[in-house]
Amino acid sequence: MTGMAAVRRRVVSPTLAAVLVLAVAAALGFLTGVLPAEKWRPFLYLSTWTYLAPGLLTTVLIGGSALVGSIVIGLGLAFARIGLPGIVRWLIVTWVELVRATPILAILLITYLAPRRLGVDITFIQAAIVGLTIYNSAVLAEIFRAGILSIARGEIEAARSLGLSAVQTMRHVILPQAIGRMMPAIVSQLITLNKDTTLASVISVRELLGLGRSFWNFYGNLLETSLVLLLIFFAINYPLSLVSRRLEARQPKEERITVLGEEDQVKVAA
Amino acid sequence: MIELFAENADFYLSGFRNTLLLFAAALTLSVALGTVMAAFRVWGPALVSGLATIYVEFFRSTPLLIQLIFYGTFLAQAGLVRSPMQAGIIGLSIYTGAFVTEVVRSGILSVDARQLETARSLGLTQVQALRHVVMPQAVRTVIPPLGNVAIALAKNTTLVGAALAAEDLLKVGQIIESRTFDPNALTVVVLGYLAITLPLAWTVGRLERRMAFAR
Repeated sequence: MTGMAAVRRRVVSPTLAAVLVLAVAAALGFLTGVLPAEKWRPFLYLSTWTYLAPGLLTTVLIGGSALVGSIVIGLGLAFARIGLPGIVRWLIVTWVELVRATPILAILLITYLAPRRLGVDITFIQAAIVGLTIYNSAVLAEIFRAGILSIARGEIEAARSLGLSAVQTMRHVILPQAIGRMMPAIVSQLITLNKDTTLASVISVRELLGLGRSFWNFYGNLLETSLVLLLIFFAINYPLSLVSRRLEARQPKEERITVLGEEDQVKVAA
Repeated sequence: MIELFAENADFYLSGFRNTLLLFAAALTLSVALGTVMAAFRVWGPALVSGLATIYVEFFRSTPLLIQLIFYGTFLAQAGLVRSPMQAGIIGLSIYTGAFVTEVVRSGILSVDARQLETARSLGLTQVQALRHVVMPQAVRTVIPPLGNVAIALAKNTTLVGAALAAEDLLKVGQIIESRTFDPNALTVVVLGYLAITLPLAWTVGRLERRMAFAR
């Protein structure tokens, strides 16, 4: 480790110490009654969790479908942008840039409202999946493109001159190397996608936050419930971010990929 | 669409103003918060640095929409804010500050530790060394990724209207859409956001390329 953090040696893990302090503070809060215990009690009931579990399933369903859709469409967009000539390429570049510059919530509202006003029947969940797919496919297209373009030209030329076709070169030479370089960015984007599934609640999808809303309206414990929801998301996303960082640490610095405009695609040193 | 905008111009502009206010205020506050937190993470005593780490990891890994709902209610109940806009600014700043912390921290760490030691041994105080040796170099590496965070923040301001009773540009568009049944009410909104995010994206892209040459 070459950073300045290495200057000082630490005996105890600072994070662990801080977690302990926070836990003690919470325990004191309960004992002294600053944190109202009765508002937390519903979380001891089994019915609470059987009520919220389908929400988590919906969250995973929306996120998973959007992820699969985005990978397929994102790959298509990336290949088309690299391989196709002139006007098509320009159209794809414009589309990708516009979509990435647009707030996801605006995209979701459009995929939800526009078909209805035009008389097309689309369920809330479908609208959410379509909206999230539109946004994430554009981001993934950029990640894929950066990954493919990061492979040295010489390798492609060598593969082609050895007699491999363009498709074979892509399949056996470029992609196997590019995937490793793209993985940290893809996992980061998966975290963002997972967080963004909560936006589906704005268009009436009963995912985790949607059900949480009904739940806290019933028990009158908005603060407690939203804190529990935050912890659930943390429990999913924090391990993912550790995975992303571990993958990134394995990549040599010059092979790392970032995508402009995405808050999670920030290069983190050390 | 032009007609639609002309008929609701005042309403749209008030929403756009609110969005700009959310963006500018939260950007300023989050940069301040993130810089302090990054300093805590790098130079703070163990407990402070640990708390700063938890701050970054927790707020980065959880959905902004739920955070905003939480602050909106908590701050209003505690009597700390007078409007949903204020709660929104605070919520956006805390969330964005976590990303800024990581950006600034990696900027600080990108400056070789030996430079600080050299500056100290030449007789500069810790503060002077940070101010004149570390910071000027850190700022250069920090600006492009900070621009990324700013773009994301501009888009995230839309969640304030969804979580709290604030009328940002997207909320205004939604209200107009529900009155006119014309989805183009939202197209106007998208153009409004593009007017903020596209110039930012171009600027960041140019800075990145220039930085790449400078290295």
